[in-house]
Amino acid sequence: MNSINQHSQQAMQRVATAEVSVQRQAHCGSTLAAEAKAIRRDIVETLYQTGGGHYGGALSVTDILLTLYRRQLRLCPAIPRHAQRDRLILSKGHAAVALYAMLRRLAYFDAPLAEYASFDSILEGHPDMASVPGIDFSSGSLGQGLSVGIGMALALRTSGQQVWVVLGDGECQEGQIWEAAMLATNCQLSNLCAIVDCNLYQEWGWAATKDEAHPPPVSQMRHKWQAFGWRVIEVDGHDHAALEAAYQTAMPSTTNQATTGQPTVILANTNKGHGVPLIANAPWRFHCETVTEAEHASILESLR
Amino acid sequence: MKKLADHLGQELAQQAQTDPRIFVLDGDLADSDGAYLFAQQHPDRFLMAGIAEQNMVSVAAGMADCGVRPWVFSFAAFLSYRAYDQVRIGLSQAEQPVTLVGSHAGGLAARNGKTHAAPNDLALMLSLPNMHVWAPGDFSDVQLAVASSLQNNAPCYIRLPRRAFSAHEQLKVEEGLGQTSPRPASGERWLREKQSVTIVSTGLGSHWALEAADILLQQGYLVGLLHCPCLAPLPPLAQELAGVSQIVVIEDHTVFGGLASLLASLGLTAPITSFGWPMQYCGKSGSDEQLRAHYGLSGAALAAKIAPLTQTSAPVALAQGAHSLHSIVSCIS
Repeated sequence: MNSINQHSQQAMQRVATAEVSVQRQAHCGSTLAAEAKAIRRDIVETLYQTGGGHYGGALSVTDILLTLYRRQLRLCPAIPRHAQRDRLILSKGHAAVALYAMLRRLAYFDAPLAEYASFDSILEGHPDMASVPGIDFSSGSLGQGLSVGIGMALALRTSGQQVWVVLGDGECQEGQIWEAAMLATNCQLSNLCAIVDCNLYQEWGWAATKDEAHPPPVSQMRHKWQAFGWRVIEVDGHDHAALEAAYQTAMPSTTNQATTGQPTVILANTNKGHGVPLIANAPWRFHCETVTEAEHASILESLR
Repeated sequence: MKKLADHLGQELAQQAQTDPRIFVLDGDLADSDGAYLFAQQHPDRFLMAGIAEQNMVSVAAGMADCGVRPWVFSFAAFLSYRAYDQVRIGLSQAEQPVTLVGSHAGGLAARNGKTHAAPNDLALMLSLPNMHVWAPGDFSDVQLAVASSLQNNAPCYIRLPRRAFSAHEQLKVEEGLGQTSPRPASGERWLREKQSVTIVSTGLGSHWALEAADILLQQGYLVGLLHCPCLAPLPPLAQELAGVSQIVVIEDHTVFGGLASLLASLGLTAPITSFGWPMQYCGKSGSDEQLRAHYGLSGAALAAKIAPLTQTSAPVALAQGAHSLHSIVSCIS
């Protein structure tokens, strides 16, 4: 038995006498804007303390995750693998530290973020369902999460549970994404929603063309998803109210059954390094890097 | 005549009548890989997932995490090679109880040739943590593999040969061998009584081993023959092989990475001589008989190479298609 199952069993024992159901984890004691800033501080502190990492992609996906966890997903942190919970797969697993920061605030675990990716920590470098409570599926090798989400959506399609998959726009270069995109429409999975963190950067990126100095990771993203039969919603990926509205449009909370027969993708336009001008102005420099002490001080100053 | 994959499709359809967890995904090869026999009986629990094996394996992983028991059918080559990273992460690392049914496994791909052969699939699957691995050799092995996979909460790979078998071509224990104990759930059994020189084989290779053992017997050589369809978790073969002075492995697999390598890892004192596909073998178009003859894996060729081993337990010169596992191990250590 892996550790996550052991954790679930222990949690089950703790709540054995009480009926514990899934629900939205709306209460955070502050505004979403304030919590977003706190998560970003967690991210940059963690990465600075543990030897660097994916600053840009973690900061770009923060608001997407925060709004999902605080406004949309029905969960039960006391029983991480509660059978009735909605599912979330962070397919762009290199943003693990953003997800860990979020899950820790939801009390899925109390392991210090400062142990991230260290030998004795449960906080594996990329999301690991076998060790980290709250991770619905392991990721890290790009391109697989949407397919896993299809499997979950198929298994849960009559239960009213929702399946959310967060992708990177660079990740959408993986062929498996489009295999999955094709199957999801064939299966008419309207309990599945993909969110693409469109931060427009990847580790190296395409060569410049005569028309574009900086071609996006995937050109004509909206048209591609539409051509595969998906309903496309485009949104500011840092606007919490807009994100919440997009989530509700994609999968209304009042609907218990899949009704539209069409999966939805939300193209969330984000800034790589959002909230930290130093990083946002040099996304390649901070894609997966260490920062100097002076840079770290500057980054923290941005997040005061 | 019936393919083992067809038998598996039938057996799974039967199990599904009482096990609502079972669901089948197929990569558009249902009529070739046995899945059609499930689809006919349980169309609402069957998904043609498209010619997209990577996606199909990950979809199955997601289903499994929600309590479904998915069985994924395709050719062994496409499951083990095309979708290996998805198997590695979604099944092995994530410990998801998905069963992969790889038809057309091994080195004999008939007219399809090398692109459709899977002569080293065991090397890939046996080296993944948590994977259960089966190479059934007959209909009864298939039933054991299905039962085992449904009982164990683990990812599983079942490799099956392309060819069909008659009801008479089953791997029965030798009459009078006196095996009174029930067959273990892992299916290993002595097809010929244990001898100083004993063959250990798996899957289709056990049929080749029987051919060789019968030829040797006609020539006056007695060899033992242990058939082992379950390779992971490996049953207690060291115990089974106690007292054997020369082990001969015959398998429809490259000489490195399969059953012979598993036995070598046990640290047995008896030397191991392995017969399988040479490491340079990619697969090739041709009939089973042509390919086996060319690579020294016909019953007659195997018998000719095993006969000298019955007269000495010392290492012998090895012919094409054969390696001493001791030399393999020393090369890589």
